Amino acid sequence: MASRSELSDFLAGVERRAFRQAQFAVRDEEAALDIVQDSMMRLAEHYGERPAQELPLLFQRILQNAIRDHYRRARTRAGQTINLSALEPDDEAADPLETLDIEPERHPFPSPHAALLQQETLERIESALRHLAPRQREAFLLRYWEGLDIAATATVMGCTEGSVKTHCSRATHALAAALAAQGIRP
Amino acid sequence: MSPEEQFAHRFCDLLEQGNMSLDPLVAERLRAARVRALGHQRVVPAEAMQIVGAGGTGLLGRAPGTRPWRNVFVILSLLLGMSFAYYWNGFEQANENEEIDSALLVDDLPPKAYLDPGFQAWLSHYAHSAR
Repeated sequence: MASRSELSDFLAGVERRAFRQAQFAVRDEEAALDIVQDSMMRLAEHYGERPAQELPLLFQRILQNAIRDHYRRARTRAGQTINLSALEPDDEAADPLETLDIEPERHPFPSPHAALLQQETLERIESALRHLAPRQREAFLLRYWEGLDIAATATVMGCTEGSVKTHCSRATHALAAALAAQGIRP
Repeated sequence: MSPEEQFAHRFCDLLEQGNMSLDPLVAERLRAARVRALGHQRVVPAEAMQIVGAGGTGLLGRAPGTRPWRNVFVILSLLLGMSFAYYWNGFEQANENEEIDSALLVDDLPPKAYLDPGFQAWLSHYAHSAR
Protein backbone atom coordinates (compact mmCIF):
# COMPACT_ATOMS: atom_id res chain seq x y z
CA MET A 1 0.00 0.00 0.00
CA ALA A 2 1.31 3.46 -0.93
CA SER A 3 2.13 5.52 2.14
CA ARG A 4 1.06 9.14 2.36
CA SER A 5 4.58 10.30 1.56
CA GLU A 6 4.80 7.96 -1.47
CA LEU A 7 1.50 9.26 -2.81
CA SER A 8 2.60 12.83 -2.12
CA ASP A 9 5.92 12.34 -3.92
CA PHE A 10 4.18 10.72 -6.87
CA LEU A 11 1.64 13.53 -7.23
CA ALA A 12 4.30 16.21 -6.81
CA GLY A 13 6.33 14.60 -9.59
CA VAL A 14 3.46 14.23 -12.02
CA GLU A 15 1.19 17.22 -11.36
CA ARG A 16 2.83 19.73 -13.72
CA ARG A 17 3.01 17.35 -16.63
CA ALA A 18 -0.58 16.31 -15.93
CA PHE A 19 -1.68 19.94 -16.00
CA ARG A 20 0.13 20.58 -19.28
CA GLN A 21 -1.30 17.41 -20.82
CA ALA A 22 -4.80 18.52 -19.87
CA GLN A 23 -4.10 22.05 -21.08
CA PHE A 24 -2.87 20.82 -24.47
CA ALA A 25 -6.01 18.72 -24.76
CA VAL A 26 -8.72 21.11 -23.57
CA ARG A 27 -6.96 24.44 -24.30
CA ASP A 28 -8.36 26.03 -21.17
CA GLU A 29 -6.28 26.66 -18.06
CA GLU A 30 -9.18 26.57 -15.60
CA ALA A 31 -10.62 23.41 -17.10
CA ALA A 32 -7.18 21.79 -17.10
CA LEU A 33 -6.71 22.64 -13.42
CA ASP A 34 -10.13 21.16 -12.62
CA ILE A 35 -9.28 17.99 -14.51
CA VAL A 36 -5.99 17.54 -12.64
CA GLN A 37 -7.57 18.29 -9.27
CA ASP A 38 -10.37 15.79 -9.90
CA SER A 39 -7.87 13.19 -11.07
CA MET A 40 -5.71 13.61 -7.97
CA MET A 41 -8.75 13.36 -5.74
CA ARG A 42 -10.04 10.24 -7.47
CA LEU A 43 -6.66 8.56 -7.25
CA ALA A 44 -6.35 9.30 -3.53
CA GLU A 45 -9.94 8.41 -2.68
CA HIS A 46 -10.34 5.25 -4.70
CA TYR A 47 -6.83 3.90 -5.17
CA GLY A 48 -4.91 5.35 -2.21
CA GLU A 49 -4.42 1.88 -0.76
CA ARG A 50 -2.80 0.46 -3.93
CA PRO A 51 0.96 -0.20 -4.11
CA ALA A 52 3.10 2.78 -5.10
CA GLN A 53 4.30 1.16 -8.34
CA GLU A 54 0.70 0.96 -9.63
CA LEU A 55 0.06 4.68 -9.18
CA PRO A 56 1.47 5.99 -12.52
CA LEU A 57 -0.71 3.76 -14.66
CA LEU A 58 -3.80 4.32 -12.51
CA PHE A 59 -3.32 8.07 -12.49
CA GLN A 60 -2.86 8.25 -16.26
CA ARG A 61 -6.02 6.22 -16.79
CA ILE A 62 -7.97 8.54 -14.51
CA LEU A 63 -6.48 11.65 -16.14
CA GLN A 64 -7.15 10.49 -19.71
CA ASN A 65 -10.70 9.49 -18.79
CA ALA A 66 -11.24 12.91 -17.23
CA ILE A 67 -9.99 14.58 -20.42
CA ARG A 68 -12.30 12.41 -22.52
CA ASP A 69 -15.22 13.26 -20.23
CA HIS A 70 -14.44 16.92 -20.78
CA TYR A 71 -14.41 16.37 -24.55
CA ARG A 72 -17.79 14.67 -24.38
CA ARG A 73 -19.33 17.47 -22.37
CA ALA A 74 -17.81 20.18 -24.53
CA ARG A 75 -18.21 18.49 -27.91
CA THR A 76 -21.01 20.71 -29.06
CA ARG A 77 -19.20 23.94 -28.31
CA ALA A 78 -15.67 22.81 -29.23
CA GLY A 79 -14.10 24.55 -32.16
CA GLN A 80 -12.68 22.96 -35.23
CA THR A 81 -9.42 21.09 -34.68
CA ILE A 82 -6.83 21.30 -37.38
CA ASN A 83 -5.50 17.83 -37.90
CA LEU A 84 -1.81 18.22 -38.61
CA SER A 85 -1.61 14.59 -39.68
CA ALA A 86 -3.34 15.62 -42.86
CA LEU A 87 -0.35 17.79 -43.67
CA GLU A 88 1.99 14.83 -43.44
CA PRO A 89 3.82 14.49 -46.77
CA ASP A 90 3.55 11.22 -48.66
CA ASP A 91 7.06 11.55 -50.04
CA GLU A 92 9.33 9.72 -47.63
CA ALA A 93 12.38 11.42 -49.14
CA ALA A 94 11.05 14.67 -47.76
CA ASP A 95 10.68 13.26 -44.25
CA PRO A 96 11.22 16.24 -41.93
CA LEU A 97 12.66 13.95 -39.28
CA GLU A 98 15.70 13.60 -41.51
CA THR A 99 16.47 17.30 -41.47
CA LEU A 100 14.84 18.70 -38.37
CA ASP A 101 16.90 19.39 -35.30
CA ILE A 102 15.26 21.04 -32.34
CA GLU A 103 18.01 20.41 -29.86
CA PRO A 104 17.73 23.37 -27.51
CA GLU A 105 20.77 25.47 -26.80
CA ARG A 106 21.75 25.03 -23.20
CA HIS A 107 23.53 27.95 -21.64
CA PRO A 108 23.65 28.53 -17.91
CA PHE A 109 22.84 32.21 -18.44
CA PRO A 110 21.16 32.66 -21.83
CA SER A 111 21.16 36.12 -23.32
CA PRO A 112 17.82 37.96 -23.51
CA HIS A 113 17.77 37.31 -27.25
CA ALA A 114 18.42 33.58 -26.77
CA ALA A 115 15.82 33.42 -24.02
CA LEU A 116 13.28 35.08 -26.31
CA LEU A 117 14.07 32.65 -29.11
CA GLN A 118 13.74 29.74 -26.74
CA GLN A 119 10.38 31.02 -25.51
CA GLU A 120 9.18 31.40 -29.10
CA THR A 121 10.33 27.89 -29.92
CA LEU A 122 8.52 26.59 -26.88
CA GLU A 123 5.32 28.35 -27.87
CA ARG A 124 5.55 26.92 -31.38
CA ILE A 125 6.10 23.36 -30.28
CA GLU A 126 3.24 23.66 -27.78
CA SER A 127 1.04 25.03 -30.52
CA ALA A 128 1.98 22.13 -32.79
CA LEU A 129 1.15 19.71 -30.00
CA ARG A 130 -2.20 21.36 -29.34
CA HIS A 131 -3.14 20.95 -32.99
CA LEU A 132 -2.44 17.23 -33.13
CA ALA A 133 -5.35 14.81 -33.33
CA PRO A 134 -6.35 13.99 -29.73
CA ARG A 135 -5.47 10.30 -29.88
CA GLN A 136 -2.10 11.00 -31.47
CA ARG A 137 -1.27 13.61 -28.84
CA GLU A 138 -2.39 11.26 -26.06
CA ALA A 139 -0.23 8.42 -27.36
CA PHE A 140 2.78 10.69 -27.98
CA LEU A 141 2.71 12.27 -24.51
CA LEU A 142 2.08 9.04 -22.65
CA ARG A 143 4.79 7.21 -24.52
CA TYR A 144 7.53 9.82 -24.71
CA TRP A 145 6.76 12.38 -22.00
CA GLU A 146 5.38 10.11 -19.30
CA GLY A 147 7.77 7.38 -20.35
CA LEU A 148 5.18 4.57 -20.39
CA ASP A 149 6.07 1.54 -22.49
CA ILE A 150 3.90 0.54 -25.44
CA ALA A 151 1.88 -2.02 -23.47
CA ALA A 152 1.13 0.42 -20.64
CA THR A 153 0.21 3.16 -23.12
CA ALA A 154 -2.17 0.76 -24.85
CA THR A 155 -3.74 -0.09 -21.48
CA VAL A 156 -4.26 3.56 -20.60
CA MET A 157 -5.68 4.38 -24.03
CA GLY A 158 -7.80 1.24 -24.23
CA CYS A 159 -6.43 0.23 -27.61
CA THR A 160 -3.99 -2.27 -29.12
CA GLU A 161 -0.22 -1.93 -29.02
CA GLY A 162 -0.26 -1.66 -32.81
CA SER A 163 -2.56 1.35 -32.59
CA VAL A 164 -0.20 2.98 -30.10
CA LYS A 165 2.73 2.54 -32.49
CA THR A 166 0.71 3.98 -35.36
CA HIS A 167 -0.50 6.97 -33.31
CA CYS A 168 3.02 7.69 -32.05
CA SER A 169 4.55 7.46 -35.50
CA ARG A 170 1.93 9.72 -37.07
CA ALA A 171 2.20 12.19 -34.21
CA THR A 172 5.97 12.39 -34.51
CA HIS A 173 5.86 12.96 -38.25
CA ALA A 174 3.08 15.51 -37.95
CA LEU A 175 5.00 17.44 -35.27
CA ALA A 176 8.19 17.36 -37.30
CA ALA A 177 6.33 18.61 -40.38
CA ALA A 178 4.62 21.37 -38.41
CA LEU A 179 7.88 22.59 -36.91
CA ALA A 180 9.66 22.42 -40.25
CA ALA A 181 6.88 24.49 -41.77
CA GLN A 182 7.45 27.13 -39.10
CA GLY A 183 11.13 27.24 -39.89
CA ILE A 184 12.39 25.71 -36.69
CA ARG A 185 15.80 24.56 -37.83
CA PRO A 186 19.29 24.64 -36.38
CA MET B 1 17.25 4.63 -30.96
CA SER B 2 15.37 5.41 -34.16
CA PRO B 3 15.29 8.97 -35.61
CA GLU B 4 11.62 9.06 -34.68
CA GLU B 5 12.36 8.30 -31.04
CA GLN B 6 15.29 10.74 -30.97
CA PHE B 7 13.03 13.49 -32.24
CA ALA B 8 10.33 12.59 -29.73
CA HIS B 9 12.74 12.72 -26.82
CA ARG B 10 14.23 16.04 -27.89
CA PHE B 11 10.72 17.39 -28.29
CA CYS B 12 9.81 16.26 -24.78
CA ASP B 13 12.99 17.80 -23.38
CA LEU B 14 11.73 21.14 -24.64
CA LEU B 15 8.30 20.50 -23.14
CA GLU B 16 9.98 19.77 -19.84
CA GLN B 17 11.66 23.19 -19.99
CA GLY B 18 8.21 24.70 -20.38
CA ASN B 19 7.17 22.85 -17.24
CA MET B 20 9.86 24.58 -15.25
CA SER B 21 8.56 27.99 -16.26
CA LEU B 22 4.99 27.28 -15.20
CA ASP B 23 3.01 30.22 -13.84
CA PRO B 24 3.65 30.32 -10.04
CA LEU B 25 -0.06 30.77 -9.39
CA VAL B 26 -0.85 27.58 -11.31
CA ALA B 27 1.95 25.76 -9.51
CA GLU B 28 0.52 26.88 -6.17
CA ARG B 29 -2.98 25.74 -7.11
CA LEU B 30 -1.59 22.36 -8.13
CA ARG B 31 0.20 22.08 -4.79
CA ALA B 32 -3.01 22.94 -2.92
CA ALA B 33 -4.93 20.36 -4.95
CA ARG B 34 -2.31 17.76 -4.07
CA VAL B 35 -2.63 18.53 -0.35
CA ARG B 36 -6.44 18.27 -0.57
CA ALA B 37 -6.18 14.96 -2.38
CA LEU B 38 -3.79 13.57 0.22
CA GLY B 39 -6.35 14.44 2.89
CA HIS B 40 -8.75 12.07 1.14
CA GLN B 41 -6.31 9.20 0.69
CA ARG B 42 -8.09 5.90 1.02
CA VAL B 43 -6.62 3.69 3.70
CA VAL B 44 -7.48 0.14 4.73
CA PRO B 45 -9.47 0.51 7.98
CA ALA B 46 -7.74 -0.86 11.10
CA GLU B 47 -10.98 -2.66 12.10
CA ALA B 48 -10.79 -4.77 8.93
CA MET B 49 -7.29 -5.82 9.83
CA GLN B 50 -8.52 -6.85 13.32
CA ILE B 51 -11.28 -9.00 11.84
CA VAL B 52 -8.78 -10.78 9.60
CA GLY B 53 -6.58 -11.50 12.61
CA ALA B 54 -9.41 -12.49 14.96
CA GLY B 55 -9.19 -16.21 14.18
CA GLY B 56 -5.53 -16.39 15.03
CA THR B 57 -5.70 -14.27 18.16
CA GLY B 58 -8.75 -16.18 19.36
CA LEU B 59 -6.77 -19.42 19.43
CA LEU B 60 -3.24 -18.28 20.08
CA GLY B 61 -3.81 -15.65 22.72
CA ARG B 62 -5.58 -12.49 23.61
CA ALA B 63 -4.83 -9.43 21.54
CA PRO B 64 -4.63 -6.16 23.42
CA GLY B 65 -8.03 -4.53 23.77
CA THR B 66 -10.13 -7.63 22.95
CA ARG B 67 -12.63 -9.18 25.40
CA PRO B 68 -11.71 -12.68 26.69
CA TRP B 69 -15.34 -13.94 26.86
CA ARG B 70 -15.68 -13.32 23.13
CA ASN B 71 -12.81 -15.66 22.37
CA VAL B 72 -14.26 -18.33 24.70
CA PHE B 73 -17.60 -18.03 22.95
CA VAL B 74 -15.95 -18.41 19.53
CA ILE B 75 -14.06 -21.55 20.64
CA LEU B 76 -17.15 -23.12 22.27
CA SER B 77 -19.22 -22.45 19.15
CA LEU B 78 -16.54 -24.10 17.05
CA LEU B 79 -16.41 -27.20 19.27
CA LEU B 80 -20.23 -27.47 19.37
CA GLY B 81 -20.38 -27.26 15.58
CA MET B 82 -17.73 -29.95 15.16
CA SER B 83 -19.53 -32.29 17.60
CA PHE B 84 -22.85 -31.86 15.82
CA ALA B 85 -21.23 -32.52 12.43
CA TYR B 86 -19.59 -35.71 13.79
CA TYR B 87 -22.87 -36.98 15.29
CA TRP B 88 -24.87 -36.18 12.15
CA ASN B 89 -22.37 -38.01 9.91
CA GLY B 90 -22.62 -41.15 12.13
CA PHE B 91 -26.41 -41.02 12.04
CA GLU B 92 -26.44 -40.82 8.26
CA GLN B 93 -24.03 -43.77 7.97
CA ALA B 94 -26.16 -45.93 10.31
CA ASN B 95 -29.26 -45.20 8.21
CA GLU B 96 -27.47 -46.27 5.05
CA ASN B 97 -26.25 -49.55 6.65
CA GLU B 98 -29.75 -50.33 7.90
CA GLU B 99 -31.19 -49.90 4.41
CA ILE B 100 -28.57 -52.24 2.89
CA ASP B 101 -29.16 -54.92 5.54
CA SER B 102 -32.93 -54.76 5.04
CA ALA B 103 -32.57 -55.09 1.29
CA LEU B 104 -30.31 -58.15 1.70
CA LEU B 105 -32.65 -59.88 4.15
CA VAL B 106 -35.81 -59.26 2.13
CA ASP B 107 -34.24 -60.29 -1.18
CA ASP B 108 -34.34 -63.96 -2.44
CA LEU B 109 -31.35 -66.11 -1.57
CA PRO B 110 -29.28 -66.77 -4.72
CA PRO B 111 -28.81 -70.54 -5.52
CA LYS B 112 -25.04 -70.15 -5.45
CA ALA B 113 -25.24 -69.38 -1.74
CA TYR B 114 -26.13 -73.04 -0.97
CA LEU B 115 -22.82 -74.15 -2.53
CA ASP B 116 -20.83 -71.76 -0.36
CA PRO B 117 -19.11 -73.71 2.47
CA GLY B 118 -19.15 -70.72 4.73
CA PHE B 119 -22.89 -70.29 4.34
CA GLN B 120 -23.41 -74.04 4.98
CA ALA B 121 -21.37 -73.79 8.18
CA TRP B 122 -23.38 -70.74 9.31
CA LEU B 123 -26.67 -72.52 8.56
CA SER B 124 -25.69 -75.63 10.58
CA HIS B 125 -24.44 -73.47 13.46
CA TYR B 126 -27.66 -71.43 13.40
CA ALA B 127 -29.76 -74.65 13.31
CA HIS B 128 -27.90 -76.04 16.35
CA SER B 129 -28.19 -72.89 18.34
CA ALA B 130 -31.92 -72.60 17.47
CA ARG B 131 -32.55 -75.98 19.07
